[in-house]
Amino acid sequence: MEFNGYKRGDGRYGVRNHVMAISTVACASGVVDAIGRVFPDVTAIHYAYGCGYGPDDFFTSLNTMSGFVSNPNVGAVLVIGLGCELLKSEYIAQAVKGKPVESFDVQQYGSAASTKKGIDIVEKFLAHVEIQKRQPAPVSDLIVGLVCGGSDAFSGVTANPSVGVASDMLVKQGATVIMGETTEMIGAAHILKNRCDDKDLSEKIEKLVLDQEKFVRDYLGEWAGLVIAPGNMDGGLSSITEKSLGCITKSGTTPIRQLVDYAAKPTKAGLTIMNTTGYDIDDMAGMTAGGAQIILFTTGRGTPAGFPAIPVIKVSSNTSTFKSMAGDIDINAGSILDGEKDIASVGGEIFQMVFKVASGETTRAEINKSRPFNCLKQGPSF
Amino acid sequence: MKDNALRVNPYDNVVIAIQHIGKGDAVTIGSETLFNTVQDIEPSHKIAVIAIKSGERVIRYGEPILEAMVDIPKGGWVHVHNAQPIIIPQQNERKGDRR
Repeated sequence: MEFNGYKRGDGRYGVRNHVMAISTVACASGVVDAIGRVFPDVTAIHYAYGCGYGPDDFFTSLNTMSGFVSNPNVGAVLVIGLGCELLKSEYIAQAVKGKPVESFDVQQYGSAASTKKGIDIVEKFLAHVEIQKRQPAPVSDLIVGLVCGGSDAFSGVTANPSVGVASDMLVKQGATVIMGETTEMIGAAHILKNRCDDKDLSEKIEKLVLDQEKFVRDYLGEWAGLVIAPGNMDGGLSSITEKSLGCITKSGTTPIRQLVDYAAKPTKAGLTIMNTTGYDIDDMAGMTAGGAQIILFTTGRGTPAGFPAIPVIKVSSNTSTFKSMAGDIDINAGSILDGEKDIASVGGEIFQMVFKVASGETTRAEINKSRPFNCLKQGPSF
Repeated sequence: MKDNALRVNPYDNVVIAIQHIGKGDAVTIGSETLFNTVQDIEPSHKIAVIAIKSGERVIRYGEPILEAMVDIPKGGWVHVHNAQPIIIPQQNERKGDRR
């Protein structure tokens, strides 16, 4: 199977052709906003931190932002800094290979002149991407991220198993699938451990989950057993183990091929585990920095969240949420509860939609321009 | 009669309500009436298929997910008010990893 994508200079294929303007620190976001008002089709993004923070957060944000703007769905990128922040705009720009990139700092020119400069650059970028055409790309160039957010007790019964079917089909075709949300693997280490290709990987996955469990227990003490959002408890889930078992079903049944750090690129086709948190936006940032061009996102209680430059396909676990958030959800796995469809047929529908979306069909979150951005930050600001 | 609950795994001792089930109403899965509830059950919540005694495990996906804090009757609602997360064994404290 193939999809029609935009070939980049680094050999990867984008499923979108976005021109992006991004600030590396919140202080510079006004200029990005001004550019976004002039060009509504430009993906104008803020990063909320970037100023004073520790080395772990610095390198996490550097890797994430560099990976994210390098994502093949971005056709050209303008990086705007303030000038005095730790996360310099030029560091991010230097990481971008094989496509147009420029960077500058607002302290060089002031807001008004920076905006004018930014508009000129973006105009040039738009002209560049406009003439690019989609061309056939092999499935082996497709990376799909798996996310669940606002889960309810039906997520693990309808939507996640359906995505699991689609995952298996994608892997069979040669694609790469990334599952994250390490916190939501707690209690399921013994299952994941037995799904690994080799003993070394099996031990790494088990250690990852058990270490995360220990971290949660040490950090949260007697609250540790209930590391699930209150929304999830209203939905009938009573413990992280219950949620985890329902969560990991979206990875299907194929062997785990690789474990990668947050924001790192998978190097093997098949199922990859990425060490991410359960916060959907941070999770998607890590996966898209790792090269995911599409996200499959299951939700029980519903969420409008997409992600900048990345088509996010929403799968609801129940028809009530599908109806109340009809403009936000792409596929309704609640039809399984209604007796209209089964898991295999919804899984097939999701698989088909991945290919349609890869070749240009828009998702609800894209139409709504719902594209929150954030990335992992765990330490203090200084 | 239309199903109002579903069973995830044959080894489970809970089933999941797929619609509101009133107190005393029949729980129907695969067009078969299994038992009656002892209280109102909200959609997507768990119902005990058999009596679960205090200290016994609640099984879903074929795996233990909770431990009953009180005796839960057959047809009872199972959630955080009557079941707690299982105290996780210290299996992650490996050699040299004990803090």
